[in-house]
Amino acid sequence: MTAPRMQDVDRDGALTEAVAELYGCDRAGFIRKATLGSVGMLAILAAPSAVAAGVTDTDILNFGLRFERLQATFYTQAEELGTVAAMRADKQDWARTLGAHERAHVKILKQVLGRRAEGRPFFDFGEATQSDAAFTRTAVAMEDLTVALLTGVVPKVQNRGLTSALFGLLTVEARHAAWARSIVGTNPAPSAFDEPRSLQSVSGAVDRTRFIARPPRTAGRTRPGFSG
Amino acid sequence: MRSGATRWTSRRNAIAGATVLATATALGFAAMAPQATPPPEATDLADGLPPPVAPAFRPGAPRRLASTRHLSHWAPVERSAPVRAAPDSGARLLTMLSPWTPERTRNIVTVLEHRLDAAGPTWVRVALAMLPNGSTGWVRRSALGGYGTVETQLVVDLRSLRATLYRRGQPILHAPVGVGSERWPTPRGTYYVRSKLTRYRSPSYGPLAFGTSARSPAATGWPAGRFVGIHGTDRPDLLPGRISHGCIRMRNADILALERHMPVGTPITIH
Repeated sequence: MTAPRMQDVDRDGALTEAVAELYGCDRAGFIRKATLGSVGMLAILAAPSAVAAGVTDTDILNFGLRFERLQATFYTQAEELGTVAAMRADKQDWARTLGAHERAHVKILKQVLGRRAEGRPFFDFGEATQSDAAFTRTAVAMEDLTVALLTGVVPKVQNRGLTSALFGLLTVEARHAAWARSIVGTNPAPSAFDEPRSLQSVSGAVDRTRFIARPPRTAGRTRPGFSG
Repeated sequence: MRSGATRWTSRRNAIAGATVLATATALGFAAMAPQATPPPEATDLADGLPPPVAPAFRPGAPRRLASTRHLSHWAPVERSAPVRAAPDSGARLLTMLSPWTPERTRNIVTVLEHRLDAAGPTWVRVALAMLPNGSTGWVRRSALGGYGTVETQLVVDLRSLRATLYRRGQPILHAPVGVGSERWPTPRGTYYVRSKLTRYRSPSYGPLAFGTSARSPAATGWPAGRFVGIHGTDRPDLLPGRISHGCIRMRNADILALERHMPVGTPITIH
C-alpha cells in the first residue's frame, strides 16, 4: 500500500493553513514543500521575533501546557472515536505512541506548574479527528509547529533546570515530527537547521486554527420549566 | 604535523566524551555512566567543566489509552440544522436542531456514531431530545461544536427508587429518589444530561436542577416542552416515593453532591 502524500490527505487542513501562513507561504506552497521535501519548511522561517518583555517562565510553561493539551486531546479524541483503529497497522502504532507521549507531557507540565497551571481549554477539532486523511494532515502540521515553538521558547526560559528538562521535550517532539513526515511519505529531515518561532507567532497560528474554542454555556439561572 | 593533528583529535574526542558523560548525568541516566568512563585525560578536562544542570523534571513513562468502554461524547449545537433519518441531504427530515434549550442554555447532543463521505460532508448520528423518547437522527458535523467527553453514567431504578452514579463503571454515589406517579410516570429509556440550572428562585426545585433529554409523554400542559428534570425539593419527607409529574427529585444534599461528580453530557438510564 502506498503511503499517502500530503496533497492526498488534505480535507480540512485548518492547522496546515495556519502553519503555512506562519511560514510565510500560501497553503499550496506549504503542501508542495512538505511533499517534495526539497525545501525545508522550517528553513524558510523568518527570524524569530523577540519574546515580549515581561513573559515569565510560568507564561512559557502555561503556553506549552496549552499546546500539549491541544495535541494530547487531538490524539486521544481520534483514538476514542475509532479513527485510529481504522488506520493501517503502522499508522495505528504511530498515532497511539504519539498520543501516549503527549499525555505524559501534559501530566508533567501540570505537575511542574502546580497551582499556576491554567485550566483546560475547550477544543473543537471539527472533522480533523474523524477521518484518517484529515487527522494525518493535521498531525504532521502540529508536530512541525511544536518543534518550531520549542526551538524558539526554550532559550528564553530563565530557569536553567527547566531549560534542561524542556530540551528533553524538544528532542522527542522533533522525533515525532520526523515520524509524522515519514508516515506521509515526505522527507523526515528536510532541512539542515530548524529555525525557531516566537511564542507569539505560534500562538497566533494556533488561534487561527480555532481549535481552541469558547466552552458552550450549558449552565444557566433560568427557573426550570420541567414537568415537576 | 601529523602528531599535532593526532593530539587535536584526541583532545576533541576527550571533550566529546566528557560532554556525553555530563549530558547523560544531567538526564539522570545513571546506568550509562560506567559504560561511558572517559580516558584519564578526559577526566582532567571534565574537572574544569561547570557541573551539569539538573533538569527540573523528568517525564514519566507514557501510557497508552485505557479502555474507552465507559466513555461518551457530546457536542454543542452551534447552529440550527436539519436532522435527517439517514446520512443524506435528501433523506427524510425528522426535526430542526436548535442551538438553545428552553432554559436558554446551549443545546447539546450525545454523539453516537459518524459517517464519512469522501465526496460530501461528514454526518453524525445523535440522540435527540424529542418525542418519541429514544429518537436518533443524522446531522452534519459542521452544525456541531467540539466534542466533550464524559466517563460517568447515571442509572435510575424506578423499582427500588434509587439513583446511582457510576464513573468508569464503578458506583460512586447512591441516593433515594422521588419519581413520577402512576398518572405521570417517569419515562424509561436512555437519555443524557443537557443543562444545569442554579440560583433560580423556586423552592420546589431545590438549589439545583439538571435538564435532561427525556420528555414526559403523559404530562401535558407543562411549559417548556415537558422535559424531565433531576432536581432538589422542599419536601424531602416524601422521598423515596412516586410523587412527581415525571421529574426525578432528590434531597438537596444529594443533588448538590451529584453536581460535584456529574458533568453535563452524562448519559442517563432510567429503568
